[in-house]
Amino acid sequence: MSLLANQEAPRVARTSRLTLANRQALTGYLLVVPALALLLALVAYPFFFAISISFTDRVVGQPGNWIGLDNFRYLSQNPSFLKTIQNTIIMVVVSDILKLFIGLGLAMLLNQAVRGRGLMRAVILLPWAMPGFVAFLVWKLLYMPIGGAFNQILTKTNIYPEIIDYLGQRSTALPAVILATTWRGFPFWAISFLAALQGVPGELYEAAKVDGASSWQRFWDITLPSIKPVILIVVLMSSIWTANSFENIWIMTQGGPSDATMVFPVLAYFGMQSQRLGEAAAVSVAMIPALLILVFFVTWLVEDDD
Amino acid sequence: MATTTAPPAAATGQPSGRLRSRLRTRTRRNLLTLIAVYGLMLLVAVIVIFPIYWMFSISLKLPREIYRLPALIPQNPTWDNYRELINERGYLTNIRNSIIVASSVTVVSLLISSFAAYSIVRFRYRFRGFVGRLILLTYLTPGSLLFIPLSIIVARLNLGNSLYGLVILYLTFSIPLSTWLLSGYFRSVPPDLEEQAMVDGTTQLGALFRILIPLSLPGLAAVGIFTFTAAWNELLFALIFITSEDLRTVPLGLQYLITGDVLLWGPIMAGAVLAALPVMVLYFLAQRFMVQGMTAGSVKG
Amino acid sequence: MSHSSSPFLRRRRTRRQVVGGLAGGAAAFTAGSMLPGTLLARKAPAVIQASGPLTYWGGLIFSDAANEMLTDTINQWGSDNGVETEVVMINQNETNQRVSAAVEAGTMPRALDMGLDLALLLSTSGQLQDVSDIYDTIGAAQGGWHESVDGAVAPEKFNGIRAGVPFGAGGNVLFRRQDILDEIGVTEAPATWQELSDVAAQAQEGAPGVYGLGLALSNVGDANLMVSALQSYGGRIADDEGVTCTISSPETMAFLEWVNAAWEAGLFPPGATTWDGAGDNTAYLSGQAVFIANTGSVSIAAQTDDPELFEATAYSALPAGPVMQVAPIGPNLRAIPTSTEDVDTVKALLEFLAQPEFLGEYYKVAIYGPVLQGQDEMEAFTSTPVLGGLRDLVLNGTAPGAPDVSNTAYADFNSNFTVPKMIQRIVVDGMSLEEAMAEAQTSGETIYAKYG
Repeated sequence: MSLLANQEAPRVARTSRLTLANRQALTGYLLVVPALALLLALVAYPFFFAISISFTDRVVGQPGNWIGLDNFRYLSQNPSFLKTIQNTIIMVVVSDILKLFIGLGLAMLLNQAVRGRGLMRAVILLPWAMPGFVAFLVWKLLYMPIGGAFNQILTKTNIYPEIIDYLGQRSTALPAVILATTWRGFPFWAISFLAALQGVPGELYEAAKVDGASSWQRFWDITLPSIKPVILIVVLMSSIWTANSFENIWIMTQGGPSDATMVFPVLAYFGMQSQRLGEAAAVSVAMIPALLILVFFVTWLVEDDD
Repeated sequence: MATTTAPPAAATGQPSGRLRSRLRTRTRRNLLTLIAVYGLMLLVAVIVIFPIYWMFSISLKLPREIYRLPALIPQNPTWDNYRELINERGYLTNIRNSIIVASSVTVVSLLISSFAAYSIVRFRYRFRGFVGRLILLTYLTPGSLLFIPLSIIVARLNLGNSLYGLVILYLTFSIPLSTWLLSGYFRSVPPDLEEQAMVDGTTQLGALFRILIPLSLPGLAAVGIFTFTAAWNELLFALIFITSEDLRTVPLGLQYLITGDVLLWGPIMAGAVLAALPVMVLYFLAQRFMVQGMTAGSVKG
Repeated sequence: MSHSSSPFLRRRRTRRQVVGGLAGGAAAFTAGSMLPGTLLARKAPAVIQASGPLTYWGGLIFSDAANEMLTDTINQWGSDNGVETEVVMINQNETNQRVSAAVEAGTMPRALDMGLDLALLLSTSGQLQDVSDIYDTIGAAQGGWHESVDGAVAPEKFNGIRAGVPFGAGGNVLFRRQDILDEIGVTEAPATWQELSDVAAQAQEGAPGVYGLGLALSNVGDANLMVSALQSYGGRIADDEGVTCTISSPETMAFLEWVNAAWEAGLFPPGATTWDGAGDNTAYLSGQAVFIANTGSVSIAAQTDDPELFEATAYSALPAGPVMQVAPIGPNLRAIPTSTEDVDTVKALLEFLAQPEFLGEYYKVAIYGPVLQGQDEMEAFTSTPVLGGLRDLVLNGTAPGAPDVSNTAYADFNSNFTVPKMIQRIVVDGMSLEEAMAEAQTSGETIYAKYG
């Protein structure tokens, strides 16, 4: 009896453990299947489809022929191609830096125990809460040379008596577009940073204070390292959004004046308008390596941190 | 919080003279900090609110005033634009459609993403890490690239020109973000409680619904609001896939106020105010959750 | 149409809408009862009744009354003929994208309105059906098509087919602020581009805050008006075969000198280099521009929103250049996609929509010039100045693209805004005229090479 039992027991245990692990894996797969199926069907498949289109001369209604890298060569011959790359990089980097400083500053501000911070938190979310294209229409109105709010204020108060065509001259167009983009985008940063700050244990600061650390040291040694993962991830998300954003430029400048604010999504849209699907796809595909580099760089930083 | 709150004076008992003077300079410094804090808050509020004020002021103006007499303050404010929008342009239908789409997307997306996040965080199986990465990577694809292939798929699946088609399309951008944020949140919840419940005979799904989700409510609220806002504001897919007038969502309704080469500034801005209001109220009510919910989600993401 | 600045106007607008609606209904009714036998005979042979309702994509224009009238008339026709109809008014700013998606997805409507450029692209890729039979019937019944319209839709440009039935001619009319011009003693419209900029400079001097030339120089369709100006100076986009890009020429240089001088003189309103499609409208309606070139929507907007401005406005044809006058007309077409199966039913509808009883009322509230000679004396064109201007354009205007060949390369060239970009290179980037022209030549060559 006892021998039998002893022989039996481990076997039972092993099989049940196996089935448990199997069942666990199976449930795990089943739970992730809906999300995965949807994304494979509606993102991954169209994505590879679009990449294959970029190597053809497809126009609307005709399947098109394989033309290799011709679309990309054509794209690189566009006199505005370099400018487009440059603008996209400047847009992403400058608006990221602005949003980082504003977001971090605001988050620290709203992390103080002061009255009215609840209201303030709601207020700073306002730009994020309205449809993007409406926000940019409003900014277009603000920038308008005549009748626009900025010019009215500056001329009426005699701070700067001459009308400035913010969106219409090369020197100011890109900064103006970046400013509007930053206005629309900073709430996400501020609120994410605020959330991260509230997750930093207060004891750390108390301990640092006891050790006589200055507030700058506390910020540099405690705050920043604690919220670094959040910063990196927010930078990643926001950079992707900015690089892919179309509405802001399309509504305010259509990429102009000249090519002062031309970015990839707008260039792709022009291709789409003339129904040259191959070329339009090539423009979007040309941007993917840059996005991938960004993603790998940031995930590398995050993992390095862990 | 911890950076400025001084220890309450009462707690220090009877302070010595040196301590008292140190406390006084501290109070003065606190006062200065307070002024700086409020000054900055005011500045930020002005920067945030001014464009919104401008939008509101245009919504109260008639064309002649918008064009011929531009002024910082409307001279003859009127609700005509709002009236026109609601009475003649069926804006309430747009709002209704947007509510249907945005809330369906939110509910479905939270459900599917909770499953996926639960699976990634709590289960062990091959390709788990790969699956997690894949889901995040899908978030990177430029929408403009998917336009043509998607329209073919949408037509084949018979999803064109319908609100549920829109719901399914919006899931493509909401699920990656939600899954990612939620897995961060779930990871921050200690697994002991679920394990205990499962020892007591609860199924794994039961543990998700009875333990993990209730514990993650702030996270779900934050993610839900993000999803709702994104769906509420989406224009590109709606523009391409919705044709019928009675299926138009809010951004689409506004877009249709730009006909040919004329922009109906007044009604557009009135529509923008009405479109932003529900979301703003939502944010206002939920901003506490937003901050709490983002905490775990993003810190551990 | 959608605003009104006083209760009186509001009432008037509403009444006009009601009248419009009634007229549309009445037109539908009368026309329905007068349908010729052939027309009725064409009606839906139930055998090839395709599935679902007959969907029609109408082009949304800046006139609620016109949009409603088209919708009502089609639906009325449907209920009279036992055909289920569904009319969707498509915002024309998105027609291209939407049609692209629909063609690829196989979800095209049974019939739709479109501009000439889109018809060109779609017929080249075999997406449209030939409508020669109804084109001929309609033409014969109403005094023949206008020559310029007929030339614009000549089958040899459209892959050998009649790509659609023209229903209204669009084009640019020069708007001028006669009240401002009266003050400097100018009563006649400027006849040449040079005269235009001279008068504009003079007018601008006496009126602070006002700019002479409200013409777009940005990356929008409006700015391709500059192509017409360039051509009127003798410049050409391509050779007579429409195969080789020839933009670099002394004539183009003469044109660039004119634009540059006007820019240097400060005649263009600030913002003109980044205007969207509504830029010139906004400038004119804000009283900032003495001259603009517009399709007519500004006039409709001013009529309800700013009657004084409406009264102060006079209309004329586009100016001529040293070599010729280029004032292209752009007929809008009702077309039938290849995917439509019940062609006869749809053709019956298109024929119905060409009835003078309907169009006579429609033109009153729309912004189109006539396409048939029998339409010239319709009340719309005799009583409304801006519509009269559009009729003159149809009578005297040039074929689309002329003197260049309006082919797909030409359309692609323009949808890349090559000419406006050439101007921006000069006025925004400070490039020399020669450099800018050379760059445009290179871009043009690349575009034309794709179609060679």
